[in-house]
Amino acid sequence: MIQFERFTLPNGLKVIVHRDTSTPMACVNIIYNVGARDEDPEKTGFAHLFEHLMFGGSINIPDYDNALQQAGGENNAFTNNDVTNYYLTLPASNLEVAFWLESDRMLSLAFSDKSLEVQRSVVIEEYKQSYLNQPYGDVWLELPKLAYKVHPYTWPTIGKEIDHIKHAVMPDVKAFFQKFYCPNNAVLAVSGNVTVEQVKALCDKWFAPIPAGNPPLRKLPVEPKQTQARKLELERDVPVDAIYKAYHMGSRMDQSFYAMELLADILTDGNASRMYLELVKNKKLFSEINAFTMESFDPGLFIISGKLSEGVTLEAADEAIQEELKKVSLAQVKKEEMEKAKNKTESQLVFGEMSILNKAMNLAIFELLGGAEEVNNETERFAKISEVDLLVEASRVINENNCSTLYYRSKSKANGN
Amino acid sequence: METEVRLDRHTMPALGKPSKIDILHATESKLPNGIPLYSVNTGTQDVVKIELIFPAGTLQQNLPLVADTTNALLEEGTTKHSSEEIASMLDYYGSFLETSSHHDYASVALYSLGKHVNKVLPILEEIVKEASFPKEEIDVYLTNKKQRYLVEEKKVRVVAARNFPALLFGNNHPYGHVVTLDEYDAINREQLLNFHRSHYASNGCAIIVAGKIKDQFLNTLSDSFGGSNWKADDLKKTGEFAINPSAEKKHYMPKDKALQSAIRMGRMLFHKNHPDAIPFQILNVILGGYFGSRLMSNIREDKGYTYGISSGVVFLQQAGYFQIASEVGSDVCDKALVEIYKEMDRLCNEPIPQDELQLVKNYLRGNVLRSMDGPFALAERFKQVWLHGLDYSYYEKYISTLAEITSKQLQDIAGKYLQKDSIYEMVVGSKKA
Repeated sequence: MIQFERFTLPNGLKVIVHRDTSTPMACVNIIYNVGARDEDPEKTGFAHLFEHLMFGGSINIPDYDNALQQAGGENNAFTNNDVTNYYLTLPASNLEVAFWLESDRMLSLAFSDKSLEVQRSVVIEEYKQSYLNQPYGDVWLELPKLAYKVHPYTWPTIGKEIDHIKHAVMPDVKAFFQKFYCPNNAVLAVSGNVTVEQVKALCDKWFAPIPAGNPPLRKLPVEPKQTQARKLELERDVPVDAIYKAYHMGSRMDQSFYAMELLADILTDGNASRMYLELVKNKKLFSEINAFTMESFDPGLFIISGKLSEGVTLEAADEAIQEELKKVSLAQVKKEEMEKAKNKTESQLVFGEMSILNKAMNLAIFELLGGAEEVNNETERFAKISEVDLLVEASRVINENNCSTLYYRSKSKANGN
Repeated sequence: METEVRLDRHTMPALGKPSKIDILHATESKLPNGIPLYSVNTGTQDVVKIELIFPAGTLQQNLPLVADTTNALLEEGTTKHSSEEIASMLDYYGSFLETSSHHDYASVALYSLGKHVNKVLPILEEIVKEASFPKEEIDVYLTNKKQRYLVEEKKVRVVAARNFPALLFGNNHPYGHVVTLDEYDAINREQLLNFHRSHYASNGCAIIVAGKIKDQFLNTLSDSFGGSNWKADDLKKTGEFAINPSAEKKHYMPKDKALQSAIRMGRMLFHKNHPDAIPFQILNVILGGYFGSRLMSNIREDKGYTYGISSGVVFLQQAGYFQIASEVGSDVCDKALVEIYKEMDRLCNEPIPQDELQLVKNYLRGNVLRSMDGPFALAERFKQVWLHGLDYSYYEKYISTLAEITSKQLQDIAGKYLQKDSIYEMVVGSKKA
């Protein structure tokens, strides 16, 4: 249970405060309600590139990192398809420095040409490091494209192609900032050794003077129901064949999400999970297999990925996965399987609440998902899923006509050497 | 709002007075059989971590991969329960096990909600004392591990990380040995059983517990692990190994069509208890140990050659070394190397400006606080001195060195350890795109 207080500034900035006096530290987390899904299809990768630019100096402060480090702070950020999140921790006695820094870059960036030029290169190197120069790295460029035809989840957060990043220019950067980086499009969560009064006063001083903006109302195209199995085969310089199967499922706050998370757990989490026992240990078809959801805000994907054992064909591997999935879409999982999955989830939530950073981040994310108080309903939402609910959801989701399958072939194997 | 006082957004708000850093110490006791038990009793959540540490790392093994494989297979079956049954019992209580094998030691850690810890402790006990290494499990494990090895071998970063320590220690030293695929085939059940019997034993074991700990729990722990029935008669003293560094300083492992090349550079240093250990760590932070470091500022933030570059110090029980790691665009690899050497030279030849030094001091003081936040972090801080035969005075020394060290002293340290001709260099990838 995370206790918190919430208030909203006149300019629309939502603020959440969680007090934890067991630590001398404080955490400040700002989430902006913009992600890769909000990008222009011709200018993808922009939300993430922009995240890098947020460290390139703001209107009054030339060097964000330098100032924060002076104050004993450490920070980072991430962008995904849904949101852009910035977080820092620092000694609570220096809390005001965090407010000074974060409010200035919400007010305005310096928009330095040098920063744009350098960060374009940095992001291109990140693109290579994570997607192009890694075995199986381009799966995450190809699989979403296969699964989504209309919804912007069809491109990855890093961007459709390197050229989109290469061609980002300053007017785009400024327009993006104007559009999305305003107080009424953000949530500020502060946790740690702080008081609500202190945070209120600091908000009044640093954030309240920032004028509200006009963030666009999000109107994303809805992905039409998939009615036919989709298949793609790639051949790459990897040592082992791999298979990826992506099924459309519900969005983050739907019952579907909670059911499919539990199912993923039952299928592949740990030495007692179904697919691990049957496909890795018993039939020895896979060297590893994983089921997981993308945890996306809009309707997402339930993914099974596996690396094949020596001598196993992709077709046989595919069939074996389908056979296992059929079992959970035709009959209820056992009561004790369900119980284990729920207990594990509950325990992970408790462990997750050990850090002020996790707590601040979760409060901010849930505020965007419908209300920070929802963070405390997670255990119950999982607990409420019955074996019947799981069966209903699994039989809805698990269907080849709802699935995109990627066969990732090893080049050396295909050529027979 | 004309009446509003103009807010000064240019000047950083005054920093708070740095508070005294109080480190919550682990309390030491002994189980009846002599196992030292260190406990860090604190935290806001009802959780417990129990970590058992054994002298069962690569330093103690007589064949490559034995330590690692023994450790990984502990949870894959005991004389009483199968791998599946063990996992099921832990899952049921929402507990999880973390086994890890290192150069100097191996560890088995159990995480549990406080309310269930008495239920899962017997499972931990069984895994540690009665692991049976079923043949079938060994085969599955090794087959899959070999596959993973092949996949990892495709990553320039991994190849560099695997091969770099061999330059400093030689391939025959446990710290430097580069594992090969056929070494997996040489592993058999007998070796694992022997290694387990002689290394996962009460003599040599230490236990660290952290979280909300009740007295009654410590008694249960003593019942589980305090007995005299799991002592090894043949536990040998850990040997010392000859260090045999590569004669060549520069190494290049080509990888066709690599878009990025992995760089590793570094040199041998000293133990954690060496008088230069703390000053060198501070110097390392300035060079490549934080986001604002010289290497990051130059090679990422000024030139855009990489997504990230960092340097670090590795302290082991029998040695210590320094290394720089990065993946850079293959087309700019040579340029990046030049800049890295330039940054080391600068530290040798020019005093660090006062404002930069002050910044790093402030940052590191904050880091000390961050690294001691919560029971598990505190337990880790204890472990990281205990493993090296040090105690909490190490952290006091660190904090006072941080306050007192001067640019001059750091420049002297750089002159001693960052001379270009002492640096080993390894590039894996393609030097031309």
